[in-house]
Amino acid sequence: MDSNDYNEIIETITADPSAPVDVSALSAEEVAGVEAHRAEMRALDETISRALSIDVPELAMPELTDIDTEDEDVVHMPVGNKRRFSTPAWIGIAASIAIAAVLGVRFLDEPTVYPSLAAEVVAHLDHEPRALTVTSTPVAERSLINVVSKSGAEIDGDVGLITYAKSCVINGKTVPHLVIQGKLGPITLLLMPDERVDGAVPLTGKSINGVILPVGAGSIAIIGEREENLSEIEQRVADSVTWSI
Amino acid sequence: MQSSADNERRRRFDRIVAVLYKDMYRYAAWLSRDPSVAEEVVQEALLRAWKSLHALRDDAAAKPWLLTIVRRENARFFERKRLDTVDIDGLTPAQSAMLAEKDDSEVRDVREAIFRLDNDYREPLVLQVLMGHSTKEIAELMGLKQGAVLTRLHRARLKLKTVIDEMAV
Repeated sequence: MDSNDYNEIIETITADPSAPVDVSALSAEEVAGVEAHRAEMRALDETISRALSIDVPELAMPELTDIDTEDEDVVHMPVGNKRRFSTPAWIGIAASIAIAAVLGVRFLDEPTVYPSLAAEVVAHLDHEPRALTVTSTPVAERSLINVVSKSGAEIDGDVGLITYAKSCVINGKTVPHLVIQGKLGPITLLLMPDERVDGAVPLTGKSINGVILPVGAGSIAIIGEREENLSEIEQRVADSVTWSI
Repeated sequence: MQSSADNERRRRFDRIVAVLYKDMYRYAAWLSRDPSVAEEVVQEALLRAWKSLHALRDDAAAKPWLLTIVRRENARFFERKRLDTVDIDGLTPAQSAMLAEKDDSEVRDVREAIFRLDNDYREPLVLQVLMGHSTKEIAELMGLKQGAVLTRLHRARLKLKTVIDEMAV
């Protein structure tokens, strides 16, 4: 009899009293011990469940504002932010980015000229409000493969739960626009294998914070909500992405 | 005037909330350990869920979707307020009321023991025992590997078992 098998089974049941276990290698005495432990953990869970079932106050539904297509641009902003669609995410960005010049030359039928890669990256967030969705549904694998493979990027599963993937144009080049779910909300990743930056470029705004990180010969933009701590995510993303061409 | 699509959307939302509101509140209360915070967090979560309802493609997934929103609103709340950690010996009246249990002293003591658990142990326990989530679902919701969830659940139960065993002495 291997006491490790028995102990591992006991630990498994302690973590999850309903977990199926294979007792075929155990003695009859050990099997009885496993079942007794499972019963004990189930009884413990009944007590825990009663303790967790605190009284709940009556539901007071907040005033639910009507949604129109313009308002959907701000649906994903933090609650309490009074901004409207006329104040895009990139207003308020550091003074080094010449937003006034961008506004001055922006016409509906002409391509927008951005003063920097950083300005274009942040402005891009306003073009795809539906990317900034709170969800636990992963993007379809086929869509993800399609989007990423076109760009010459490779990405492994450790980057996090990817809930959005689309090919977008940044600085005239088609790049993967991905979204992973952070602690405070969606985090945008733009994988740019052909955009070299000399060092990390910070991105700041009223409701966002982010960075363009140099990664090999290219770079990756990572943008989350203003209070999101991106340092762990930056490392994870940099470790998960490689350029194949 | 509201369209029939707007009305249907509102009915769908009301149906989902009617079923899941208690879970939202209890999850928020055990995350924050403060019923007054939980009420505020749930209000914010309801607003955010209403505005993001189009992202919920399958109503069968409403529970993890709403709990994810609650989780994030709770994190935002604490980021904004920069609150200190809860002092178990300096509870507010609302927190004391949360722990109170008139008729069952065992429940009261276990409730207090759960209250004292670290967030890392308390949250997966709530999700598993009260919300009925699998360890895989908990891992997705918390952004952890499944092994990490199992370890935390194991430790949480051992800590609570110790409390109950001491009560029996």
